[in-house]
Amino acid sequence: MTEAQWRTLMIAAQTGDAAAYRRLLDELGRWLRSYYSRRLPSAMVDDVAQEVLLTVHAKRHTYDPSKPFGPWLAAIARYKWIDRLRAMKDGLTDELDEGLAAPDLGEAAHSAYTLDALMSRLKPAQANAIRLVKIEGLSVKEAAERLGQTIALVKVNIHRGLRQLSELAQAESHEF
Amino acid sequence: MSFETLIDQLAGDLVPVRPRRLWVDVGIMLLIAAIELALLFAIGFANLDMHRLETQPTVGWRLVSLGVISVAAGFAAIRSFDPTYSAKGSIRWLAGIIAICVVGGLFLGTLPEGVSALLQRLAWTNGIGCASHIALLSTPPLLGLMLLGRRGAPTDMRRTRLLVGLAAAAWGAFAFVFACPFNDPLFIITWYSLGCTATVLLARYLLPRIARW
Repeated sequence: MTEAQWRTLMIAAQTGDAAAYRRLLDELGRWLRSYYSRRLPSAMVDDVAQEVLLTVHAKRHTYDPSKPFGPWLAAIARYKWIDRLRAMKDGLTDELDEGLAAPDLGEAAHSAYTLDALMSRLKPAQANAIRLVKIEGLSVKEAAERLGQTIALVKVNIHRGLRQLSELAQAESHEF
Repeated sequence: MSFETLIDQLAGDLVPVRPRRLWVDVGIMLLIAAIELALLFAIGFANLDMHRLETQPTVGWRLVSLGVISVAAGFAAIRSFDPTYSAKGSIRWLAGIIAICVVGGLFLGTLPEGVSALLQRLAWTNGIGCASHIALLSTPPLLGLMLLGRRGAPTDMRRTRLLVGLAAAAWGAFAFVFACPFNDPLFIITWYSLGCTATVLLARYLLPRIARW
């Protein structure tokens, strides 16, 4: 289905056409799963895609029928993606004091192509600390030994790196 | 919950909606501003003293500067409630407008000679009164913009909250010009800026909590 067809369905949905809306949400669900599978750990994909469908429902009045539908949907999807990255960062930051091991996230992060692309823009010390602790699942102590840094410095690098990652993701979304 | 169940529920909840219109939101804000100004005149807080307008050269500068900043920031803030709108360019323009307005004001007065002259001209007890009045008068447009923001879907909250704060603050200062007896550009730039900063900080704190989606 083309973007123009999505637009037609959305305009119909705004007037209360439930059949058109059902078709649209079905299409959007597929597109969103594909969108997030390249950007988030696989365990989160369905959850975030459903959250976006709920948002599309709640904010459907903000779509201007005179404009293309794609950028509107992409803006919402990106907003929720950044939101999720921030939440990941906050959640991970909370763990900093307790050992920082997050093996499930590490495995998932391997599949997050865009996340990797963003990480390549971090300082090497920050990217290495995040990779070792968050992706490979090493403890902070093990990472510190491998990197030849103090434990405190590894924690600081992870914290700053994740914050930078969130900012990069947001900046990238507004350049689009 | 499966996708099918969610889609069934959302389609079942569907009711017709009227798409958000930029000019309706602009109209609501103009109405709030007009009502506030009318009330200030009605209770006698503000007055249109022609003698003061003629004898105080800064009145015209204040009204034009704050009016332009308020309208430009308000329009950009309302536009930024659209998820596809990027406010980066608007903020650059606004920064330029604000700089021109401030520099324009400095040309209307002279710089103080010495610290004691500076303190005297700043008249901080009066200044705090001015700043707090501006912050208070900014409240109605601030609330209005935050409610419109909640109804919209701003995707760049950092810039949106700055625009909302600037628009409300500039409007509060604009309304206060009709009640402000002071004419020294140094006093005005200092204390009006402080009053506006308070509103911008309030918007920075409140908007993400109110308009988060």
